[in-house]
Amino acid sequence: MIAPFFKYGLFGDNLGLVVAFAIGIGFGFFLERAGFGNARKLAAQFYFTDLRVFKVMFTAIVTAMLGVYYLAVFGVLDLSLVYLTPTFLLPQMAGGLILGMGFVVGGYCPGTACVGVATGRIDAMVLFLGIFAGIFGFGEIYPLVSTFYASTPMGQLTLPQVTGLPYGVIVFAVVLMALGGFAGAEWVEKRMAARNVEA
Amino acid sequence: MSDLLKNLSINGRLALVAFVLGVVALFAGSPYVGAGAMVNAKDLSLAMATDADQVDVGTLADWIIQGKSNFRVVDLRTEAAYAEYHIPPAENIPVAGLAQSSLLRNEKVILYAEGGPRAAQAWMLLKAKGFKGVYILRGGLEAWKDHVLFPRIPATPTPAQVVDFARAREVSKYFGGTPQAVAGDSAVTAQAAMPTLAMPTPQAAGAGAPKKKKKEGC
Repeated sequence: MIAPFFKYGLFGDNLGLVVAFAIGIGFGFFLERAGFGNARKLAAQFYFTDLRVFKVMFTAIVTAMLGVYYLAVFGVLDLSLVYLTPTFLLPQMAGGLILGMGFVVGGYCPGTACVGVATGRIDAMVLFLGIFAGIFGFGEIYPLVSTFYASTPMGQLTLPQVTGLPYGVIVFAVVLMALGGFAGAEWVEKRMAARNVEA
Repeated sequence: MSDLLKNLSINGRLALVAFVLGVVALFAGSPYVGAGAMVNAKDLSLAMATDADQVDVGTLADWIIQGKSNFRVVDLRTEAAYAEYHIPPAENIPVAGLAQSSLLRNEKVILYAEGGPRAAQAWMLLKAKGFKGVYILRGGLEAWKDHVLFPRIPATPTPAQVVDFARAREVSKYFGGTPQAVAGDSAVTAQAAMPTLAMPTPQAAGAGAPKKKKKEGC
């Protein structure tokens, strides 16, 4: 049995929806348990008082990376069939900035806004409506930005391709980066906590 | 050492595990299937023995007419030959480019070249690369010409042959071919012209509605 199961036809569209539902519930559950249903905790990230978003997300990245890497090395996962979002450098940078600004102002990213709505937070519901207003607005102005939207296409890029380094070296480097990041985050949190006490 | 581990927090232990896995990854090599290939000799010989590795030209013609889209047809010949004529839905991937092509391991792929051997080599190559549904077009383009584009009927046909030919004639016309009349007939043209490359529009729409491409990502 080789993954990805869907692409190897182990289940069809219908069961795929069930699987997606189960994964979505799991995703939402762990976001909520990490405290990401609370805009204050999310926004604390940007004031360096609580870097749990950074820590949780980087933990997820490292866990997934090690899992995918070793499954593929052992031949259980066919990595060539795993979908990669194609890179469009400039439009994605612009999109990232816009999303980031919305995150700072609203206190939620789209996924955590859904979690906030599920736990009945009013600010999350307002932001949720904002998401749809944004999607609608983007749809309306799409003809004006469609050239930019499709500009600087770079295809499906991976770090080993870009850097020319072996895959294993990249895995090791990302692990080091994460561990260093965690240590740094703890240090920053302690410093900020001390300063806030003084203030 | 064991004392050190005992005193480590859960987070510390997890970090240690991640670090060890990261170090091992340095030496574990690439997760992609590289230039090398693995052959399951039993699988391959079984596919050959049961003819499960081949698709008939007639079957392929039927699939195309029915508008099926759950397969990809690959023309292994040179670009020039491909430009001159190819089976309508075929894409041109010369053998040298096969390993780097956009073919996916879970796709149904039908290979053809002029005759047999080149397609058989390509079949072996893709099978060794772990492709699941690879097939050879039986007899290659030669068979396509003989049976689909320019079908013939013997001078003294049996009733069954007459029925078969009537059907073959329709198929041939669909692909722009010229059904050959009875051998010895004065109207027989020595060399029929190859059809133009206009892709016939599938008649039986809905028989196999084209598979929708799924957009993935978050």
